[in-house]
Amino acid sequence: MVTIIDRTLTTFNIDGINSQDLNHFCGLLFTCGVTKIELASELVSQLEPPTLAGDSGKYIDNSTCFLTQVINTDQTISWKLEPNELIEQTLHISQINTISHQKIRLMGWEDLITRDYLSIFNQLLNSDADTLDLCPSNQNHCATAIALEWIMAGGQSISCGFANRHDFPPLEEVLMGLKLRDPKSFSGDLSVLNELRRLYEKISAVKLSKMKAIIGEDIFKVESGIHVDGVLKNPHTYEPFSPQTVGNNREIVLGKHSGHQSVLYKLKEQNLSDSAASSILKQIKGRCTQLGRNLSDLELRTLASEVQNDYDAKIYC
Amino acid sequence: MTMMQKYIVDTTLRDGEQSPGMAFSIREKVTIAKTLDALGVNRIEAGTPAMGREECRAFEKIKLACHNAQIIGWNRMNLNDIHKSIDCGADIIHVCVPASDLLIREKLRKTRAEVLDNLASCTEAIHAAHKELTIGLEDASRADWDFVVQLIETAKNLGATTLRFSDTVGIMSPSVCKSYLSRIPSEIDIEVHMHNDLGMAVANSIQGLRSGAKYADSTLFGIGERAGNCNLEHLLIATQGQIDFGISLDELQWRQNTLKSIIYKNKLLYA
Repeated sequence: MVTIIDRTLTTFNIDGINSQDLNHFCGLLFTCGVTKIELASELVSQLEPPTLAGDSGKYIDNSTCFLTQVINTDQTISWKLEPNELIEQTLHISQINTISHQKIRLMGWEDLITRDYLSIFNQLLNSDADTLDLCPSNQNHCATAIALEWIMAGGQSISCGFANRHDFPPLEEVLMGLKLRDPKSFSGDLSVLNELRRLYEKISAVKLSKMKAIIGEDIFKVESGIHVDGVLKNPHTYEPFSPQTVGNNREIVLGKHSGHQSVLYKLKEQNLSDSAASSILKQIKGRCTQLGRNLSDLELRTLASEVQNDYDAKIYC
Repeated sequence: MTMMQKYIVDTTLRDGEQSPGMAFSIREKVTIAKTLDALGVNRIEAGTPAMGREECRAFEKIKLACHNAQIIGWNRMNLNDIHKSIDCGADIIHVCVPASDLLIREKLRKTRAEVLDNLASCTEAIHAAHKELTIGLEDASRADWDFVVQLIETAKNLGATTLRFSDTVGIMSPSVCKSYLSRIPSEIDIEVHMHNDLGMAVANSIQGLRSGAKYADSTLFGIGERAGNCNLEHLLIATQGQIDFGISLDELQWRQNTLKSIIYKNKLLYA
């Protein structure tokens, strides 16, 4: 079983966080497949049951500690605290042989993808470390790939953080990567990711990009005629995983790249007549190019009635 | 250490603009193309001429405005579309071929044999017009390898200069990418087209280039369908000192910044 450590709660100012949000956030992280949550020791006092009584305050000396989830014999859930004993190191490749009987978290190594990383992973896996956690830097935008390759090569522990406003591999990408590689052994439920994103945006006061991989609000919007055609026939054609897997929804939207099929589909969806569809499509393309955005359903209704009234008038006059 | 020499195919104006809500006017398309040309981008995929008269006019103007880059017209496997690309002056005619059984069966509602026939019937017109032909394998990462091999053979026989290997739904990992690309014979230039659905477009592009690809597709700000395409700025950052694309990172960053208000006309899309 691979250990997945989430470090999100160490990445932003958590002064304002309330107890309810903190517990909710931790609960969702466990649901989606995180094994250990790293959090600042100051936060421990704000954790509520199911944390095991008596644990609070024990690890106050360390700056961070780990929260884990245990499923008891009676199927109830307990949370447990344990000290963070990982020693953070930034090693040069030539120093791998100096590793000995320690619990180590390897930092840095943002450029591994441009090297022969498999042989480096092999050296690491053959070293004498007791625990070897990898927390690759994302400065080269390759941390997810490094994390997944590490686990595929046999690595047993990886550190991540939710979303991308830190220097760790984005948690949601690593989890989805693991799920797609080996669906049977992946036990997390990623349908809570949408809820997790909303909660993250609330407690960090940061709005995430709408096209952020896995959790972006707009990643299941389809506009271009070619893709709409495929998605309406079978969504798998242009979706790597279904929107429901991550708690999101698919949406056909109208814009500059819409085709005839999209307009017919949207008119039907809005219970509108499909007369003059070609003229409506032409108008949509023009307006969206001007606006630099998609047309809302309300705008479609207005546009359709304008064009269709005009069209009917022409027929009867 | 000597740097590897590789090339960028920018698809901001085609796959990038296909991102929901994104839409450029003719003038904006020309501005973006001129910037890419000035940066040293080797090939610019300027759009899909089959979309209509506006798109074709944009092509004609882009062709006049760019001095160095080759201009690619993107096409479905359809003779009418291809004629439009030829007529509007594109240097390279790119034909996109669905490669996975999923796309062939569910979207095209055709068979593999029909796809091969169809492709063959499209290329004569391109050679007759003395245009360079490049062929793209759509959804290659989910395709059956035997058919991929067959398509590569066909592409070579039909006189394509470049083969685009597309991870259309962004599901590859670098090691999978390496194992696929190292099996492609070397008689044809390889171009990799990576999507960012799992956040690995940059890593996969790098691995593709290290495994023999000559070209990598990318877009400004990484815009594109769903979670986007390979982000050019990120690709340059990740390959500094290793791969030379003939593009300066500093120059890209300031020029890209001047295009931000065109690309993100609607502030809501950007975060």
